[in-house]
Amino acid sequence: MRKFLCAVILLVLCASGIAESPKEVISKTVLLEDSEEQAKRVGALSGANPEELIALLNKWKEGGIFIVENADGTKVAVTLDEDKDAEDKQTARRLDTGAVFGRVVAADITTAETDSTLRLAMKSVLDLAELSSPDLKRRLQAIETMGSEQDPERLPALLAWQAKETHSRAKRAIQEAIALIQLKDESDDVKIAACKTLGELGSIPSQDFLKTTAKEANEAGKAALVTAANGALKDIAGHVTFVNTAGTAFRGLSLGSILLVVAIGLAITFGLMGVINMAHGEMIAIGAYTTYVVQCVFGPGLELSPFGINIKLPGMNATDWLYDSYFIIALPLSFLAAALGGLALERGIIRFLYRRPLESLLATWGVSLVLQQLFRLTFGANNVQVSSPSWLSGNWTVNDVLFGWNRVFVIVFAIAIVWGVTMLLKKTPLGLLIRAVMQNRQMAACMGVRTERVNMLTFALGSGLAGLAGAFISQIGNVGPSLGQLYIVDSFMTVVVGGVGNIIGTVISALGIGLLDQSLQQILGNPVLGKILVLAGIILFLQWKPAGLFVTKSRSLES
Amino acid sequence: MNKRTKIELAIVAVIAVILIFVLPALNASGAVSNFTINVWGKYLCYAILAISVDLLWGYTGLLSLGQALFFALGGYMMGMHLMRMIGDLGQYKKPIPDFLVFLGWEQLPSFWVPFSSFAFSMLMVIVLPAIVATAFGYLAFRSRIKGVYFSILTQALTYGAALMFFRNDMLLGGNNGFTDFKFLLGADVRDAGTQRGLFIASAIVLIAVYGFCRWLTTTKFGLVQRAVRDSETRVLFSGYAAANYKLFVFVVCSVIAGIAGALYVPQVGIINPSEMQPDKSLEIIVWVAVGGRGTLLGPVIGAVAINALKSWATRAYPDLWLIILGGLFILVVLFMPKGIVGLPAQIRGFFAKRKSTETPAAAQPSPTAP
Amino acid sequence: MSQKPFIISAEGVNKSFDGFQAIRDLNFYMDVGELRTVIGPNGAGKTTFLDLITGRTKPDEGKIEFLNTHDVTKMSEYEIYRLGIGRKFQTPTVYTDHSVFENLVLSLEGSRGVFRSLFARLNSTERDRLDEILKTINLGSHRDRKAGALAHGQKQWLEIGMLLAQNARLLLVDEPAAGMTDEETAKTGDLLLSLVGEKHSIIVIEHDMTFVRQISQGRKVTVLHQGHILCEGPVDEVQNDERVLEVYLGRKARAA
Repeated sequence: MRKFLCAVILLVLCASGIAESPKEVISKTVLLEDSEEQAKRVGALSGANPEELIALLNKWKEGGIFIVENADGTKVAVTLDEDKDAEDKQTARRLDTGAVFGRVVAADITTAETDSTLRLAMKSVLDLAELSSPDLKRRLQAIETMGSEQDPERLPALLAWQAKETHSRAKRAIQEAIALIQLKDESDDVKIAACKTLGELGSIPSQDFLKTTAKEANEAGKAALVTAANGALKDIAGHVTFVNTAGTAFRGLSLGSILLVVAIGLAITFGLMGVINMAHGEMIAIGAYTTYVVQCVFGPGLELSPFGINIKLPGMNATDWLYDSYFIIALPLSFLAAALGGLALERGIIRFLYRRPLESLLATWGVSLVLQQLFRLTFGANNVQVSSPSWLSGNWTVNDVLFGWNRVFVIVFAIAIVWGVTMLLKKTPLGLLIRAVMQNRQMAACMGVRTERVNMLTFALGSGLAGLAGAFISQIGNVGPSLGQLYIVDSFMTVVVGGVGNIIGTVISALGIGLLDQSLQQILGNPVLGKILVLAGIILFLQWKPAGLFVTKSRSLES
Repeated sequence: MNKRTKIELAIVAVIAVILIFVLPALNASGAVSNFTINVWGKYLCYAILAISVDLLWGYTGLLSLGQALFFALGGYMMGMHLMRMIGDLGQYKKPIPDFLVFLGWEQLPSFWVPFSSFAFSMLMVIVLPAIVATAFGYLAFRSRIKGVYFSILTQALTYGAALMFFRNDMLLGGNNGFTDFKFLLGADVRDAGTQRGLFIASAIVLIAVYGFCRWLTTTKFGLVQRAVRDSETRVLFSGYAAANYKLFVFVVCSVIAGIAGALYVPQVGIINPSEMQPDKSLEIIVWVAVGGRGTLLGPVIGAVAINALKSWATRAYPDLWLIILGGLFILVVLFMPKGIVGLPAQIRGFFAKRKSTETPAAAQPSPTAP
Repeated sequence: MSQKPFIISAEGVNKSFDGFQAIRDLNFYMDVGELRTVIGPNGAGKTTFLDLITGRTKPDEGKIEFLNTHDVTKMSEYEIYRLGIGRKFQTPTVYTDHSVFENLVLSLEGSRGVFRSLFARLNSTERDRLDEILKTINLGSHRDRKAGALAHGQKQWLEIGMLLAQNARLLLVDEPAAGMTDEETAKTGDLLLSLVGEKHSIIVIEHDMTFVRQISQGRKVTVLHQGHILCEGPVDEVQNDERVLEVYLGRKARAA
């Protein structure tokens, strides 16, 4: 009889709970003594306003709800305002109505406690509330949690939500979560179907669960289920291989693009002009530091003190989109700064050494030393912080493969640069002059081409491209005084392998080296060993094709 | 043998006597400080190394950026022996080198075992650089990689090797390399007498290397070597397998560099992978360029002069040293292609040119002194 | 083959550079002891032909045999040299930083090995021979001068001297008269004529028709055109050949 009564009361309460707002339900529930009862009521909560519910439950969990007694001894749930005075008194408000109850000292009143049973109930309510959250990230997180907990009780909520969900990624996640929960189903058929679904989805996180299922099924002697689970695992393993391969290919492509961006300037100065510029790396560093300076000007400003001279650059303290646009400004400035550096280098040193390639190598190495030390004295020996604009720092996940925006951007940018350089060389008058001078200097000079000026511009172009590369590298790696040294060996290798004097060769070799490097890293699991093998590979490659991939054949005897 | 060579030989003989007998004697009597002997011992090793670079670059036209690697390889071989000689006096008091204990080794890895023998270690000082040089040189010269390509490739070799030696699982001390040496041939390495002995050994090797190179230039090999430098293609059309000649020089120079490294390590008391970075190779090239390439005295003068300058500048103007070095290099390449040794001839030439512009009749190019 | 072997024979040789057909289906046979002059307009493939024989470039197809036994297309430059094929280049290439005498020492026949070169010393016969050559090429007074300091004509002579020192079986001489006075040219011709015989066969490439007449003396002359042999025969015959006139004088081809 009593049992029956209890049940009736409970039913009534539940029914009224649905009708009541979460605030009211919680205000009442807080006052109950029996935690199991509390848990039941909380568990039954759901609502039209998930945000409010989430906020309330979280407040309760964190001890933000208090119980006070009215003068008549009845208890009331209250929250406290943040208005502590000198006596530590705060305004207490009724939770259900929001009316002011009075001023109390937090330490003197009772906190609404929560125990583990209740917290568990809260968690599931919170999860369900999260499911309907308008924020995709939170939704996904909630779905994932439910799946990994494999709690059959959540199945109805998930199924209900599955019909409402519109976003494809969330849909897939729900499918995955449902299948995971169904792995715990009593029926073997459902389990087998769930295995199949997981296999088809290529669900990487479900691998451990499937393994457990397979193990249990094996012990129970359920052959069909074992086959299904193992089949799913195999499918997933295939998917993992695909994801790894695709990831490696993407990283290889982006590394190749970096190499390409770094080497394309060298392909012009070394490939076309035959000048060994060991300071090419420092041209890259000029670009990177220019980006840094521009960033500081957009931000809080910059103070430098090279050789004890104080230079103060005022900052614009820009925020949001304006700050994010610094990179757009930094790109052309990096190009210009490095191009000017290149121009000075060509006029000051290299033009005297066109006939002595080995010596231009040495002199430019001297320049490289001087520049590195100047960077050190100006910007300090440590790396400087260059932050990426927000539109370069996110990523996409497509089919479990991660595509960082900065890497995607590098690839797009590399394509743009190669296209630009090719067009410049092929379609513009300057390009025509450059090609003429590079092919036959004397002849060009005889035809009235001012070869000196063409040399100057070509070298400035090559250096400017290095500067652009520097702007890029600042988004991916560290910017420090010896930044250039990291890339110089790689860029020379890229140009040599590609075949000197051939832009297409440089493109192919950069991508090839990038892919090889990343694949070896993936296979060996060791970046340094991969790098060493790439270097060894290059040396062996040159055995096969000493002049690189693309040889510019000619009849001239002594080159 | 012409007059110039005779004068040079006389100078070298005097220097040899000073280095091998006079300075050590003065040191033993206290007139020359241990510090001086130690510093000069280092310079002598650098001078040997510089000669090896010059034999490649000045005489054969091979600008190798890999000499620091061979120097370091020689140094590492000596270092391994010195590490074994520490015995159980390391911090962990174990019979194997400290860093191996640190990496969790109980026993000596097998390739370390023979380095307990001095004779074997010294053999490896010669053999290891020779093997690496032969393998690399064979591949590079066979495919006729020359000029700047050779330089870039040797740079890559050095770079790759440095990356390898930086790794702990090479079991060669990783980043820190070898240090805290205690004994060499039973004597305390840090003892003044031992250091003096090493100084004398360095001096003898330097003089011997000088003598060897001087002899080499007088042989037909020397003729071919210079011919390769000036016109490799023509050499092939004179029936010489230029690749073999280059390989021989490359291997000989790697061995010389290795020996220099082996002498260097006990004198400075440390060897680590930073010694084999491409920058180090380029620094040696600076010594040779400043001293005067294509001569045998030039690299010695350059190595000593630049390193003396370095010791002074890194103390007096630490921030500016790299700028000084870089600037010096630019100036030498642009204005002193023949280095310090070629300076007198350059000055004479400058005045001769001015004279000839005054009297156009003398514009006919006169046979220049060899 | 019972016949005496060809000193050099080329069969079905083709070579192109980036689409330019420098040598087209070339067949060339030359007897031991012959002095053959090869003429032809610019770009006819004369120098490329010598490049192919000496291993400087490799043909796309075809073979070139020395004494019917050695296929030089499969050998490297120095191996070909060691067979006894010497070459004087079109532009004189001597070792500019070496003295005249050292240039000759480098070319002197004998071992070319690395280790031998370390301990090789000139014996008195060799020394006498080199002095003899110095006299022949008229550079006795320039013995210790740097070759780079010689005048153009003297460099030509020096290179001829280097060929003599080599004592080659087959001498390939590319435009020896360029940069020489008439008197020197005549002297070069005499020198070549005095050499030719069982021991030395010679191919001369030349533009100067006076010189060609002087050395060919009724011997066979080969005319190359567009990488192919246009005609062969004594110089008078060749000079009056219709096709040759066309090529040289640019008369319009009858059937294009």
